Amino acid sequence: MPRINSPAELEELRKDILSKRDPNRPCITLCSGTACHASGSEEVAASIEEEIKKQGLSAEVDFRKTGCHGFCEKGPIIVIHPEKICYLQIEPKDVPEIISQTIKEKKVIERLLYTDPTTNKKVVHEFEIPFYKNQERLVFGSNGKIDPKSIDDYLALGGYSALAKALSQMSPEQVLEEVKKSNLRGRGGGGFPVGRKWEECRNAPGEIKYVIVNADEGDPGAYMDRSLLEGNPHSVLEGLIIGAYAIGSHEGYIYVRQEYPLAVENVDIAIKQAEEYGLLGKNIFGSGFDFTVKVHRGAGAFVSGESSALMTALEGRVGEPRPKYIHTVIKGVWDKPSNLNNVETWATVPLIINKGADWFRGIGTEGSKGTKIFSLVGKVNNTGLVEVPMGMTLREIIFNIGGGIRDGKKFKAVQTGGPSGGVIPEKYIDLPIDFDELAKAGSMMGSGGMIVMDEDTCMVDTARYFLNFLAHESCGKCVPCREGIKQMLNILTDITEGRGEKKDIELLEEVAAMVKDFSLCALGTTAPNPVLSTLKYFQDEYVAHIEQKRCPAYVCKALVSYYIDPEKCQACMICLRQCPVGAISGGKNQIHIIDQAKCTKCNTCFEVCPPRFSAVRRLSGEPVPPPVKDRVLARRKG
Amino acid sequence: MTTEEISRIDKIIDKYEGEEGILIQLLLDIQQELNWIPKEVAERISQRLNIPQSQIYRVASFYTAMSLTPRGRHLVSVCMGTACHIRGSPRLLDRITDILKIQPGETSPDRSFTLNTVNCLGCCALGPVMVVDGKYHGKIAPTEAEEVLKNYD
Amino acid sequence: MVNLTIDGKAVTAEEGTYILQVARANSIDIPTLCYHQALEPFGACRLCTVEITSRGRKRLVTSCNYPVEEGLEVSTDSEAVIKGRRMILELLLARCPNVPLIQELAKSYGIEKPRFKLEDDNCILCGLCARICEERMGVSAISFSGRGLERKIDTPFHVNSEICQGCGACAFVCPTGAIKLEDITAKEPRPILSEFNVGLNPRSAIYVPFPQAVPKVPVIDREVCIHFLTGNCRICENFCQAGAINYDQEDEIIEAEVDAIILASGFDLYDPSAVEEYGYGKVKNVITAMQYERMISASGPTEGHLERPSDGKTPKKLAFIQCVGSRDTHHKLYCSSVCCMHATKEAILANEHYPDLKAFIFYTDMRAVGKKFQEYIARAEQEYNVTYIRSRPSKITENPDNGNPIVWYEETTARTRTSMEVDMVVLCQALIPSGSTKDISDMLHLSLNDYQFVDIPDRLFHPVDTEIPGIFACGFCQAPQDIPDSVVQASAAAARAAEFLSKED
Repeated sequence: MPRINSPAELEELRKDILSKRDPNRPCITLCSGTACHASGSEEVAASIEEEIKKQGLSAEVDFRKTGCHGFCEKGPIIVIHPEKICYLQIEPKDVPEIISQTIKEKKVIERLLYTDPTTNKKVVHEFEIPFYKNQERLVFGSNGKIDPKSIDDYLALGGYSALAKALSQMSPEQVLEEVKKSNLRGRGGGGFPVGRKWEECRNAPGEIKYVIVNADEGDPGAYMDRSLLEGNPHSVLEGLIIGAYAIGSHEGYIYVRQEYPLAVENVDIAIKQAEEYGLLGKNIFGSGFDFTVKVHRGAGAFVSGESSALMTALEGRVGEPRPKYIHTVIKGVWDKPSNLNNVETWATVPLIINKGADWFRGIGTEGSKGTKIFSLVGKVNNTGLVEVPMGMTLREIIFNIGGGIRDGKKFKAVQTGGPSGGVIPEKYIDLPIDFDELAKAGSMMGSGGMIVMDEDTCMVDTARYFLNFLAHESCGKCVPCREGIKQMLNILTDITEGRGEKKDIELLEEVAAMVKDFSLCALGTTAPNPVLSTLKYFQDEYVAHIEQKRCPAYVCKALVSYYIDPEKCQACMICLRQCPVGAISGGKNQIHIIDQAKCTKCNTCFEVCPPRFSAVRRLSGEPVPPPVKDRVLARRKG
Repeated sequence: MTTEEISRIDKIIDKYEGEEGILIQLLLDIQQELNWIPKEVAERISQRLNIPQSQIYRVASFYTAMSLTPRGRHLVSVCMGTACHIRGSPRLLDRITDILKIQPGETSPDRSFTLNTVNCLGCCALGPVMVVDGKYHGKIAPTEAEEVLKNYD
Repeated sequence: MVNLTIDGKAVTAEEGTYILQVARANSIDIPTLCYHQALEPFGACRLCTVEITSRGRKRLVTSCNYPVEEGLEVSTDSEAVIKGRRMILELLLARCPNVPLIQELAKSYGIEKPRFKLEDDNCILCGLCARICEERMGVSAISFSGRGLERKIDTPFHVNSEICQGCGACAFVCPTGAIKLEDITAKEPRPILSEFNVGLNPRSAIYVPFPQAVPKVPVIDREVCIHFLTGNCRICENFCQAGAINYDQEDEIIEAEVDAIILASGFDLYDPSAVEEYGYGKVKNVITAMQYERMISASGPTEGHLERPSDGKTPKKLAFIQCVGSRDTHHKLYCSSVCCMHATKEAILANEHYPDLKAFIFYTDMRAVGKKFQEYIARAEQEYNVTYIRSRPSKITENPDNGNPIVWYEETTARTRTSMEVDMVVLCQALIPSGSTKDISDMLHLSLNDYQFVDIPDRLFHPVDTEIPGIFACGFCQAPQDIPDSVVQASAAAARAAEFLSKED
């Protein structure tokens, strides 16, 4: 491969790549992100390749496996270019038809298209689907267009032009100034101004400095960084190199979870390609600037995402936070100045350099500029990754993009910021989402997890879930976090299992206050958030659990009983057969009865009882009626 | 350990000799190679790289990606991420512990299954999700778990 | 220097020091659990949290690792601080309800019964043990393992550590007593025994040899000090405020030209285990007179209580065996001269401490040569319940059921063989010239007699003169004798030396 020695050579190479590509030549892109992969995109890919060959189209059609498109709900996804015809939930059996009909005959296959649930109309093009239409995909958009394993794909889209501009036309100070002016805030959690952080690191004494990509995204229910790194690793690398130039660093690390094998693989490939092109290494673009980068695989610990813990892990030691009041930008990895930003932050940098800080500042709100990628998951119709300008309201995100709540249920709350965040209730549905508004509402941006909850979600159980997560993910070093979370979890477990007492709420608040103020690192200081925010907005649910031993959402097993309404039971035997513990007695024409002593409350009977009977009822906070004596079913006619 | 195993381990250690801060990377490689980190391996690393065994043990016991006990032939991972949680993964997990008769983190006595919980698999659209030997099973109801597990022994 | 205020008090501190150090130097108390002067701050217990006002902003920080800054205002007992500490202690007490240290600390903050689910742990995970092992001993035999709820202190793979050097630092720094050396080391833990207390209790590697030592300063035992063995540790240095620790000090040889020398090299004790029939070292409750002496001393290791080695019980029946190694053709032929009287003294002391204690003294001949000595013995018999038995016991065995020693002997008056089971036996072993007597005599070309005492050619008229003019000998180095006799001889030697020196001029 040729080494690129100057910005001019980069442009030549780009032209060369583009000249070999016919924009009108059909190209099938298949999403191969993690979710689509899990839904079987590998098999689809195999049959596309086979079918192209079989139908003798190898010379006439391109096929590209791309990163995550974002619309995970409907995976595996195919987009056919140049028309941008979008097919959803593709199975291998659909492939021959796609090749013969759409590629050869240019005919659209109706049944594979998206159906707008409100109008019931079919939508042909990707950009017309409401899920995509309402987004502004500046950072994430290229994911669906490029093969992450191909640097040429990235170059074809103008990749590395920001780096060329920075190195050839700007001084490090000017790059820094531009980022500062853009008001870009860190996308990893706290929202610290990126430019200021870079500046502190640049000004810190010492020759050796490190820049680090934090791809240790550990929030359960958040996978945007992972998808970005998997789908467009070069955008992250480009941002990192630009940052290193501004800061005066010549060594970088990418800290990525081992559990994300595709991200590790694609990043490794990207680094190798960039090295071969001379985009990494000595004298990049002939500018005299040197920069190398290493991949460090993280071994799976939520707390290792905390910056000082991550840096300790980079040194090969257990990833525990350091008890130091000196910032890592001054003393980080090996006690050298170290600047850490997350994947999305780095990937945003090339855009700012290319289009300018003013352009960037034109997007978003007063305090939060640009766009943000959210992972919109939970009880929402269109689960996926969405990128929107800061300041979009929750309602727009959840209902316009997310398509509303699943199964026609009622929206209850949305949880943001991961385990360190909080819940936002329905009354704030029109809250414009940015760093400051979320903090005001008692939650946080975090890395951008957005978990939608409906009426079937118990908020006490949700708090218990997060604390259980944190109890296991805390490193256990400091007393407030380790013992405090443990005891809060004990209390919440008691409440969800019917042993709650009135004084528990006050005690929870008391412990939470101490843990918040006294813990060693951000994991601890934010750990009480799930408790405090559910207490703030859903105290009535706590009270119901404690005083009436009732779980309004029928989630807390110990407080729920299952009961077959003898008036409705049609003795169809379905629940009886499906009950995994044989707790249901009955027979043909004999009304079914659940043996409460045997029942494990697995919810199976409730799920399988045909909706037209709806005989299985969940009870909470009330006694189970005694079994009927006369069990012979009197078939009601008509 | 057999001499063959020792030379396999030594080959991995060779890659990292003389470098600083590599313990986690090294242990991840060994975990991938052997599926667990036996005491003898820790001793070997300690000897060759002059890293105290306690540090190796500490790292290996801290991270979920590393196991200090041998794993079963089939690895069953149940996603307990938030999205899966509110879509009913606790009930799925209950059913699976019932079927396999082991708790999360345990391996069945005949070493057929190891059951794990994971925090997020990054495919929340499919929740609740279980993964058996790398194969994803999404939107799976507790009642369907047995059907899936039947295919493995 | 940096100026700051702590609890309103203006103080100055060196740059780079931490708030806690400065507070303590100014007698302001801040509670800590994971802090140790010789270790890097760990910031884990959070008990040392204080409230600071820095650049107009109030914040809670841990004082153990927050560096002082100019103009810093520190409050060590603000409402927020006290409230937080109280909760931390309540949580710790729930974890360790049976650890006295935590009970006391919690109580001092008004917590007696935690409102949380109680556990029964005794480790607070302060990590002092693992940190001292790594940072100071350079060993890393133990460490934390696991994370979150599973975090604990452990040896690798939960197996006793081969690399542990058995120094015991971990157990020593553990504030709750959770660390037991025998759970950690693969070696047999071996305490350093106090020479002065004849092995009855352990001492540290840095120690004052005995309370009346001259000069009365601590010394480092280089044979056992970890620093001298491995180059690590150096903890004493951190604690000595006077900066008096000097690891480079060497023994010095001072040459002096003198005209007269007085030799007073004293005595050593004969090893009683050489007298095998008495079972010293095998029968647990057989001890030496010197061990007994330390035990019955109010300043000794048991603070004056008699505690027999096997089970710590106070003996009711006590036997003294005389002439252990003295007047014995297999050992020392001479009479050690002081044992009859000191055994009597010890027996009287025992009875004074424990009026229902009964002592027996097995003797060869009663040698009460001295003014009122015989009367002293009579008093012991009449007033202190001491029985003298004229017999040399043939052996001592052990009753396996209760650890009692059994003394086998001949009743010489009735000429019958018999035995007596007692609770403890004290051996009055022979006294021998100290080891250095031979070295010095060789150096000075002095002759020793058959028993290795310094030879005095003319005992009658020149009882302290050796064969070389100007060299005198007094006390036990020239013959067995008690303290009064040694004092007399010392005075005589001094007078003779003075006489000799004045003649020289």
